[in-house]
Amino acid sequence: MTLDHFWSILFLSLHAMVPITLTAAGEVVGERAGLFNIGLEGILLLSAFTGALGAEAGGWPLGLLVGIGTGAVVGLFFGLINAYWKGNQLITGVGINLFALGFVAFGLRALGTPAFHDVPRDVRLPAIQTPVGGLSPIVFLALVMPFAIHWFLNRTRAGLWVRAVGENPEAADVAGVPVELVRLLATTFGAALAGLAGAYMSISWMGAVTKEMAAGRGFIALATVVFSGLRPILTLAGGFIFGFFDSLATWIANIPGVKEAIPWQFVSMIPYIVTLLVVTGVIGRVRFPKALGVPYRRE
Amino acid sequence: MPEPLLKAERIVKVYLDGTVALRGVDFEIRPGEIQGLLGENGAGKTTLTKMISGLLPPTSGRLLLGGVPVRLHSPKDALTCGIGMVHQHFALVANFTALENIALGTGRPADQALRASIEELMERTGLGVPLDTPVENLAVGERQRVEILKVLSRAVRVLILDEPTSVLTPVETEELFNFLRRLKEEEGVGIVFITHKLREVLEITDRVTVLRRGEVVGEVMTRETSAKELARMMVGAEFRARGRRPVELMTEIPVEERRVGAERAREPALVVEDLHVPADSGGEAVKGISFELYPGEILGIAGVEGNGQTELVEAICGLREGKGSVRLRGREILGLPPLELYRLGLAHIPEDRWKYGLILSFTVAENAILGRQRSPRFLGRLAMLKWGEVFAHVRELIERFSIQAPGREAPAKSLSGGNQQKLIVGRELSQEPEVVIAAQPTRGLDIGAAEYIRDILLEMRDAGKAILLVSADLDEVLELSDRVAFMYVGTFTAITTPAEVDRETAGLYMGGMKG
Repeated sequence: MTLDHFWSILFLSLHAMVPITLTAAGEVVGERAGLFNIGLEGILLLSAFTGALGAEAGGWPLGLLVGIGTGAVVGLFFGLINAYWKGNQLITGVGINLFALGFVAFGLRALGTPAFHDVPRDVRLPAIQTPVGGLSPIVFLALVMPFAIHWFLNRTRAGLWVRAVGENPEAADVAGVPVELVRLLATTFGAALAGLAGAYMSISWMGAVTKEMAAGRGFIALATVVFSGLRPILTLAGGFIFGFFDSLATWIANIPGVKEAIPWQFVSMIPYIVTLLVVTGVIGRVRFPKALGVPYRRE
Repeated sequence: MPEPLLKAERIVKVYLDGTVALRGVDFEIRPGEIQGLLGENGAGKTTLTKMISGLLPPTSGRLLLGGVPVRLHSPKDALTCGIGMVHQHFALVANFTALENIALGTGRPADQALRASIEELMERTGLGVPLDTPVENLAVGERQRVEILKVLSRAVRVLILDEPTSVLTPVETEELFNFLRRLKEEEGVGIVFITHKLREVLEITDRVTVLRRGEVVGEVMTRETSAKELARMMVGAEFRARGRRPVELMTEIPVEERRVGAERAREPALVVEDLHVPADSGGEAVKGISFELYPGEILGIAGVEGNGQTELVEAICGLREGKGSVRLRGREILGLPPLELYRLGLAHIPEDRWKYGLILSFTVAENAILGRQRSPRFLGRLAMLKWGEVFAHVRELIERFSIQAPGREAPAKSLSGGNQQKLIVGRELSQEPEVVIAAQPTRGLDIGAAEYIRDILLEMRDAGKAILLVSADLDEVLELSDRVAFMYVGTFTAITTPAEVDRETAGLYMGGMKG
């Protein structure tokens, strides 16, 4: 591995980190408020698709907005069903994932590009040119966001409310905190970030939409939340570990010699296996919010 | 007479399941007065205060705040109107610091300005707490102070305290009372003090409203009443109708003539030696307890809740890890799974009957064989349950323990609390255990059911079982036990006989004085 290789893997890692970190950092907010959204995978896929359509209609700014909006709308539904109507969070999340699979497969087919929908270069988010290659601006956002969320959760009144409704909604209610509203907003925010991550994948990073493009990243983000112990700043580490091994796997799979000997699908398993090992290593030690996944009913 | 701060008129509350909790209650809170709200479990005290504090809407009736009708839709509304409540089970976020919990209540961020104003409030009220420790690491008394500070920081004019002394030691209770007196005199706050303890009502309140079965059965000035009158109002005519030996009578029997002397010579059924049990919040909940439990005796463990009783029981019953030794008829059982303990003859009537006692959505029949589902009597070939046997067993239980159930196929949650407890007790005792661990066996039950359970315990004692009775109800422990141990922060402060302690001494033991 030469120095060039090192830089290119680092750059690839940063780019691969973005969707994981953004999604996980958003989900930290939702989970701190007590809602567990396993529909993130679906949100990534949906907003990658809608984001691409938005970009093609009105350029990358509209694309990003549509992606964020898609996430927010799905998050709003998820929040209404679970915070207000006391639904089952797992089932709602599974529903989102299944809906996204069907919707995007259908949408791609309707566009006449069932396998691979290319996003034209001129509507993609322009990369920042550096001496070692182009870098998406969203990378910087992903690097800053966890710190902003950390500050929000620990330093603001709203952050205190979010943590309170996830830990002890009764106490929050008695203290006059609107439990359902706080939960709704928290999960909507998380989903909106996942929406941004999805749009990033299609109109910045990959420049294409396929129906497999989420590739389990929503679930990896959930695993990263566990790994982080619901501390937003650690989602950077989790995202980077996955991103690094993801990029490393791509690199290994393309080494001449290896390419012929081992099927690339096999090498692609590396980041998932590493994530699994890392998460199993920490899972017993994480303290989850007490009311995570539990609907709040006043009496 | 000062104008009432808050008036509740003809309040009726019918819960969704049809339970009538309040039947037209009138209630007044006046400034600078401590108003006692006395009543048994289920009398409607908590329901009434939940409506005053905005947690529940009344079915009919209205609230008047300073003469103006108000509707309180949430605790927030109530706080805005100057009504604050300190709940029995503290409404605190466990991993938040005191400061964060108070911030939550005030709707302000947990910043330096808030800290300064809380420090000022602590100074003024004399309620000191560490502000930067997570409240889960604070003692119960401190947590209560956090709760009170939280409410006071909202400048309330009405302070409702739901059973505030149930978790406090006598010393802490005294401190609380002094504080409440200052609060009413210096700040003119109207205080509602909910309790079922007569002594406290007489000591701290100015006026008492007595509730029974959702109705006000009496309203009197404290100085014009007596414990006897209040007790009569509180429990009604059926009190002590079945002629069990009252405590006073038992204390007159010379110690050596009581069962204890006779039973001591025999082999103990259960020996606990130097048992240590870790607490959930770190540290030790049980700090090296030793005792012996003999056949034919009830050993009572008295103490304010939260002093390690729960952990002690759970360790003995295989629900929690512990260090030391627990021997059942000479055999080491510490760390064995509950099913094995059950087979060895240890029955457990759990403190939390919904968590460990029953599966509420299962039927009465299914619950009746919980933990016995593998016994050959009920388990047939190919792992099929013998329902005929199960139903016969349920019939026996229902008859023998007079359980009122809509049917053996009815879900356990359709039974009243008393009947749920009878079902558990019946199931646990039907296997003829050697040792019975009864934790808070009568908590939350109506008088009839509670008396029934107590009688069963005495019956089992007379039949030669060894019974460990853990109860926060001091009167119950003194009345039923042959020997009594007092538990305080993980240790026994004294093991003695009920005859040798009066209430005052008992209070001292429960408060940590060594016997």
